[in-house]
Amino acid sequence: MSIRMLNQNAEVMNKSAALAMNIGAAKGLQDVLKTNLGPKGTIKMLVGGAGDIKLTKDGNTLLKEMQIQNPTAIMIARTAVAQDDTSGDGTTSTVLFIGELMKMSERCIEEGTHPRFLVDGFEVAKKATLEFLETFKTSVVIGDQPDREILKMVARTTLRTKLYEGLADQLTDIVVNAVLCIRQSDQPIDLFMVEIMHMRHKFDVDTRLIEGLVLDHGSRHPDMKRRAENCYILTANVSLEYEKSEINAGFFYSNAEQREKMVTAERRQVDERVQKIIELKNKVCAGTDKNFVVINQKGIDPPSLDLLARAGIIALRRAKRRNMERLVLACGGEAINSVEGMTEECLGWAGLVYEHVLGEEKYTFVENVKNPHSCTILIKGPNDHTIAQIKDAVRDGLRSVKNTVEDEAVVLGAGAFEIAARKNLIDNVKKTVKGRAQLGVGAFADALLVIPKTLAENSGLDTQDVIVSLENEHDRGLVVGLNHNTGEPVDPEMEGIYDNYSVKRQIVNSGPIIASQLLLVDEVIRAGRNMRKPT
Amino acid sequence: MVGYGIQSMLKDGHKHLSGLDEAVLKNIGAGRELSAITRTSLGPNGMNKMVINHLDKLFITNDAATIVNELEVQHPAAKLLVLAARAQQEEIGDGANLTISFAGELLEKAEELIRMGLHPSEIIIGYTKAINKTLEILEDLVEKGSENMDVRNTEEVMLRMKSAVASKQFGQEDVLCPLVADACIQVCPKNPANFNVDNVRVAKLVGGGLHNSSVVRGMVLKNDAVGSIKKVEKAKIAVFAGGVDTSATETKGTVLIHSAEQLENYAKTEEAKVEELIKSVADSGAKVIVSGAAVGDMALHFCERYKLMVLKVSSKFELRRFCRTTGAIALLKLSRPNADELGYTDSVSVEEIGGARVTVVKNEEGGNSVATVVLRGSTDSILDDLERAVDDGVNTYKSMCRDSRIIPGAAATEIELAKRLKDFSLKETGLDQYAIAKFGESFEMVPRTLSENAGLGAMEIISSLYAEHAAGNMKVGIDLEGGACKDASIMKIWDLYVTKSFALKYSADAVCTVLRVDQIIMAKPAGGPRPPQQGAMDED
Repeated sequence: MSIRMLNQNAEVMNKSAALAMNIGAAKGLQDVLKTNLGPKGTIKMLVGGAGDIKLTKDGNTLLKEMQIQNPTAIMIARTAVAQDDTSGDGTTSTVLFIGELMKMSERCIEEGTHPRFLVDGFEVAKKATLEFLETFKTSVVIGDQPDREILKMVARTTLRTKLYEGLADQLTDIVVNAVLCIRQSDQPIDLFMVEIMHMRHKFDVDTRLIEGLVLDHGSRHPDMKRRAENCYILTANVSLEYEKSEINAGFFYSNAEQREKMVTAERRQVDERVQKIIELKNKVCAGTDKNFVVINQKGIDPPSLDLLARAGIIALRRAKRRNMERLVLACGGEAINSVEGMTEECLGWAGLVYEHVLGEEKYTFVENVKNPHSCTILIKGPNDHTIAQIKDAVRDGLRSVKNTVEDEAVVLGAGAFEIAARKNLIDNVKKTVKGRAQLGVGAFADALLVIPKTLAENSGLDTQDVIVSLENEHDRGLVVGLNHNTGEPVDPEMEGIYDNYSVKRQIVNSGPIIASQLLLVDEVIRAGRNMRKPT
Repeated sequence: MVGYGIQSMLKDGHKHLSGLDEAVLKNIGAGRELSAITRTSLGPNGMNKMVINHLDKLFITNDAATIVNELEVQHPAAKLLVLAARAQQEEIGDGANLTISFAGELLEKAEELIRMGLHPSEIIIGYTKAINKTLEILEDLVEKGSENMDVRNTEEVMLRMKSAVASKQFGQEDVLCPLVADACIQVCPKNPANFNVDNVRVAKLVGGGLHNSSVVRGMVLKNDAVGSIKKVEKAKIAVFAGGVDTSATETKGTVLIHSAEQLENYAKTEEAKVEELIKSVADSGAKVIVSGAAVGDMALHFCERYKLMVLKVSSKFELRRFCRTTGAIALLKLSRPNADELGYTDSVSVEEIGGARVTVVKNEEGGNSVATVVLRGSTDSILDDLERAVDDGVNTYKSMCRDSRIIPGAAATEIELAKRLKDFSLKETGLDQYAIAKFGESFEMVPRTLSENAGLGAMEIISSLYAEHAAGNMKVGIDLEGGACKDASIMKIWDLYVTKSFALKYSADAVCTVLRVDQIIMAKPAGGPRPPQQGAMDED
């Protein structure tokens, strides 16, 4: 082989071997993820190197954690993860779709078709399907008052594929309310404004939405109040601790008296800053029962804490940067960087600030804020893996709601779209294509069926039976999906099963691209290491 | 050619288990093994376990939370049960053993169901229905009138605490309970819901016996006073967090001295300064100085001169508790304290108990915010075990402050649950009725284990319990001493409703999670020092 002349150690896989490897890997990956799909999917348990447990049903998490080594599988996994990055869901579907495309192609190639024709067919089918998606989607009008119901349906569809039903339904309301809370008209939705906080406490069903913020630390002084109502919130980024000067300075003194003076002089600057805050507090709170809370991004040292505590101020130090931004959105006011010229306008407001202690950890709740544009989803669960599972699901749920708001459209779920798209390809598109590319269109159309097929399989139903009955309904002009409980066709619109438009679009878009790339590979060359036995 | 399937795609050393046989049944097996270990420790007649952890520390206990914590369970499914027990321990502080044992029993029954041909998802549905029904029934079984209790009434507190303590230290609950109840009631704040477990301290002192144990209103510090004054009564206390010494600047300072005279003067000014400070403290009326950091020699000298007792408390948290006990406010710098910053104590004295010098800080009136249970016992491990019993008692008190409802103990509740769930399962139509029936059956584990541990005939007792319950005597449980059935309300054995409901819920949750998993992907265990090879146990 010519490559051997160039490099002694290089390894080559020729045409058929390369193709077989690619197809094998795609199918292998499909097999792993297959059981994940849909509300009846099963859970995988991932055990990390340190013995830590992770339970997941989310394809994305699984692919990330699995440490795949096969080059083809990595390529597919990356596409799927990219799918998650752009649209937040549909990872499993992407992998399944790619795998099924490869499987369908394999059959054609064995019969002697050149991969190039298949790829051409994929291209035509993809275009046609995307066009079909435009006509198939259901438009949603997102005005100033979005339709909560439709958002809930989309969120529920996503969440039910990640968590068990009872919990998913509860989280549905939470994520929809959270997104609507941070949504400001004429601005893109920034999901970072939803803080996701977790506490190892009670049960997973105690997860709730807090209109306000939860900070994962408490005040550091024993004499500060643990609970305060009607609070002014000062969001600050001012250092309230003694900082050593950069230059190498030293003192000279000759008696203890002088030293005492040095000690006070050293702290004067910091004390003055604290004094300014106390003055402001006295100005706005004097004569009322209002309280004052300082949340500082920088440090506050014990002497300053002491001064603040004496003035009846609750002070939190070293808040996270991202929380400072959220705090301003939640409570109002503005974040100050200097204590000079502070006025009442700089202050935010919260109806209730309290501390919650859980074992060693302290949490501070800032609640009852006015007109919040930032909120917190407080996840609770008895152990870390439950929390991690909910966290992933909440993230996906938030994304799906956001997608709906931005797409202003949804797609019927439960496999309805796939069946309809296949019908469209076979009935209308295939005939317009000339030559052997028709085979590619056919393979694409059949590959789409993998979604309803897998849904049926995971629910323990007879796959062929389900597909036939669904197709019959579609032939009669009814748009139906699969009811995974009974195996009967069901109208997804009635059941409220909606998928994200952008997710579906992304799947249809990226699946064939990767499949085409893999099919067109005719040589795999690896220089140096042996690819058959990964070291 | 690269092999087919997942295994070839993963990094070396990864393990991949899937399917019913490989994953689900193995997981069930692991969970069952774990519960077999803890089960023999359930109840008052439970056996102790000797656990030696990776640090070679010896534990002798029947506290399930401690056992599973120190076992360092590796198997992922068994770990789920451990996590459930840990959650129970953190949330309630008691009932960890019930969580694990019950979960193990449920898993065992699940295996039977799987062998019968049920799919795990059907079992999950059945178990979920069953646990919801169980919680409903449990609420129904709550003793009437128990939702209102006076948390300051020793009688009522002891009634609820007894079974928790008895399951750890059977036979000694009559000694321990009054101590714990006393200590808890003393520190109970105005709003009982805010009861803080941290306010009941335990001081373990080797020597004497359990009967020498006592409750101190205040704190017991396990160290000596710094100076020579060992006893002060009715004294005001000044607390300094930053240490009692000459003050220093953050920036490095240098003393500039030109002549010998100046050197002498410097030492004198230094002395004068310290004296002035100590004098000002003494003038403020304080008789005791508590320092959170080092006490300088010179400062100590002046303290002696002004007849001030000096204590050193080096832990920050201990210092905060000290402040709470005495009502003092910790000052950062050595300076003259204001009157409201001074604390008060009835007596501070250094006592010698069992060869160790301890400082007893008593505060009979006013701020009853910290109480200490002084435990005496002959060995460290006995003391550790006693401490765990006290912890359980205190946690029970905390739970009853929040929810004082009680249910009959001594397995009476379990039998009633088993009976009612069986009835419930007959009304269900789907395949899940089998799962519900098995869930009910699992409750028999509690009376069976209790009687087995006590050396009684389990089958006999269970059948007579069923007979009693069928006759409508809902509160009949096992009398372990008599070896017969007896009304729990006569024996005065009550469990807290919250403990039971949380434990059952946590175990049902954990079991459902284990059953939901059908694939396990295990990464290669991360490197790190290998644990030393265990030699034969009897060689040393």
